[in-house]
Amino acid sequence: MTGAGGIRLFSALAMAVCFAGALRAAEVRAKVDVACQPTGKPLQYDCTIRLLNARSNEPLTDVALTVGADMPSMPLAHNVRPVKTTVGAAPGMHEVRIELEMLGDWALRIDLTGKVRDRVIKVLRFEQDRVGPATALANPPSQHKH
Amino acid sequence: MDDYLIGVLSNIGVISFLALSAYLLLLTGEISFGQQAFFAIGGYAAGIATALWGWSLTAALLWGAATGAAAAVLVGVPTLRLHGLYFAIATLAFAEMMRILFELFHYQISIDGEWVGPDGSDGFRNIRYIFENDVGPVQFLALIYGLLAAAVGGFMLLERSRLGVAFRMIGEDEVLAEMHGVAVARHKVLAAGLAGAIAGIGGGLYAHMTTYVEPRIFDVMLGVHSLAYGLIGGLGTAFGPLLGVLIDIGVLESIRTFAGFRMIIFGGLVAALLIFRPRGLLDECVVHRIAGAWLRVWGWILRSASRPAGGGR
Amino acid sequence: MIDFAQNTIDGIMIGSSYGLLALGFTLIFGVMRRLNLSFGPSIMVGAYLGTLLYLNFAAGPIAVAAVTVLGAVLAGIYVERLCFAPMAAGAGIASMVSSFAIWMQLEQAAILLLPRHTYPFPSLTTGAPLTLGPFQLRADHLIMLACALGLSAGLQLLLYRSRFGLALRAIIGNPVAAHLVGINVRTAVLGAFAVASAIGGIAGYLVLATDQQITPMFGMWATIKGLIAMMIGGLGSIPGAILGGLVLGCLEAHSQSYFGPQIRDLSAYILLFVCLVLRPGGLLGEAPTRETIDRRRA
Repeated sequence: MTGAGGIRLFSALAMAVCFAGALRAAEVRAKVDVACQPTGKPLQYDCTIRLLNARSNEPLTDVALTVGADMPSMPLAHNVRPVKTTVGAAPGMHEVRIELEMLGDWALRIDLTGKVRDRVIKVLRFEQDRVGPATALANPPSQHKH
Repeated sequence: MDDYLIGVLSNIGVISFLALSAYLLLLTGEISFGQQAFFAIGGYAAGIATALWGWSLTAALLWGAATGAAAAVLVGVPTLRLHGLYFAIATLAFAEMMRILFELFHYQISIDGEWVGPDGSDGFRNIRYIFENDVGPVQFLALIYGLLAAAVGGFMLLERSRLGVAFRMIGEDEVLAEMHGVAVARHKVLAAGLAGAIAGIGGGLYAHMTTYVEPRIFDVMLGVHSLAYGLIGGLGTAFGPLLGVLIDIGVLESIRTFAGFRMIIFGGLVAALLIFRPRGLLDECVVHRIAGAWLRVWGWILRSASRPAGGGR
Repeated sequence: MIDFAQNTIDGIMIGSSYGLLALGFTLIFGVMRRLNLSFGPSIMVGAYLGTLLYLNFAAGPIAVAAVTVLGAVLAGIYVERLCFAPMAAGAGIASMVSSFAIWMQLEQAAILLLPRHTYPFPSLTTGAPLTLGPFQLRADHLIMLACALGLSAGLQLLLYRSRFGLALRAIIGNPVAAHLVGINVRTAVLGAFAVASAIGGIAGYLVLATDQQITPMFGMWATIKGLIAMMIGGLGSIPGAILGGLVLGCLEAHSQSYFGPQIRDLSAYILLFVCLVLRPGGLLGEAPTRETIDRRRA
């Protein structure tokens, strides 16, 4: 492949020429678990989000969250206006209600602000009666399965 | 500024690069369904550069532009003698090939005990440069629009240069251009390469803006959209495709209340617009008229300025 | 060896549906010199109407097929009226982009009609596949092949043995001259759209009845497959459309069986790209000349 194959070839050379941009300090990174279920109203879902410190696996607090969503197959036309979450009962837990435009795979865009600034993407498949993991390959232009 | 507004404006800015890329080829008379491939290549290349190799954003964006241009030249040479629908379908085939290759592309390295890098059809997450380097959303927005202004400025210069005239001549009639001494083949490959570079920069910005790319993003829909922008906004000036993006995303945002009917309304609007203005809102005639009016106004200002200050006869 | 032969058989069967899609495409392109990106989505609208009938009234296969074809024809006429009829000569790109805008519209309409990702589609036949020695033949595949051969022969007859066909051929040759000798170009073009959409509707119905399911991706799938098959076979050629479909079907069946679905799609696009670069006119079409590619007509 033109782009990516060449990238590896040139990487050694390029590393020598260019400089390390990011100094990776021991910053806090977020780990995010998302679970959604339908509310009963069409295209409306309630999501529970659990925030963890990726290193210590402890709940991450003092962070404000917004949740937006894009459709990977049409990233700009189909998107959901970001919604602020409400803080849940346990530390690090957040709750949010989102309304989608159609069923299918959505990339939830979870933005963290406050103590930690970060963005986490979760791709889920939203169906009428449940929400499951998105399987990119099951997205069938492959009409014919033998 | 409202975060949401920043998000929408960033989207408009980034997608404008893709629209400009398709527009450049439209100038030379070619319809490309495949500019999203160079957008994807630029996005992956720039994302790999910052996330995996620790490059600076500047170097990564240049690298994205370079890979986009290189790939575009590689496709441009064999498709040189194709025109119209044949060229359009060949670029479509190439873009879909690239999309599937990205689905098969795995290149991950472990950074701080976490695997980072393109992971086939699961995509490429954690392109976290703007978070690691504390680039705020407004700063990134400024970067996007700074680069976009540079690109549009480049187009303005191009339209006034011999090169721009040569591009439009080829677009009007290739044989006639050749007879007038324009090296058609070289100019077309150059146009393809420039268009690839513009798309590549856009891709690099996109990857860093969303922090995540996956092959599905770069499908035919994106390519046809980027082509449509030029036609909706107008083929007379580089502001045409930008207007097209603004209309698309702006109108889509403003008819949110119609929820499920948005695409029905929007599709109908575009179809109706194209009936009345088949070369877009800012087509060559409108641009010509605006330029003429501007010249008249400018001439009037100059004349009144050159009159003696006392004003008496 | 038996695998190879079985793959080839499957490929020919599936390829015949690609051939049918290409047939509709090539008819529209031949008459209009313009690309109708909404071809697949308008078939999908018909198929969604058919599915709706099946889900609500448990309609039988014949009713579903009839509604699918009728819906595809109506959607096709809608596309022609909105994207092609009102466009001036020389606005070929505008027509194409407009048909893309209508694609978005039709897709959304289908999703509003039936919002889920997947719906069942009634199968045409039941029962075990026929066994011929070591090979298996599915009845619905045989119907597909028969339809492809029958419809292409029928279309050839229509074009060369009827007044309507004569008018269409005159328009394909030179639309201005056709108008001057008194052919009603607009009506004939609308007729060609209707015929092409009907062929597409039949193809769509057969594919979906074989798959026994329908998703909103079907519109794009049909447009892309029809387009690839048409380009491989040669623009504007009826036997070329069928041949292109069969070649595409065989290539896909083999690469699917040896390397999986991703390589199957990849190989289809590689074939298309290589074919366009080396032989732009396709297998049976004429190489493009300045006349056929002139943007002022296209």
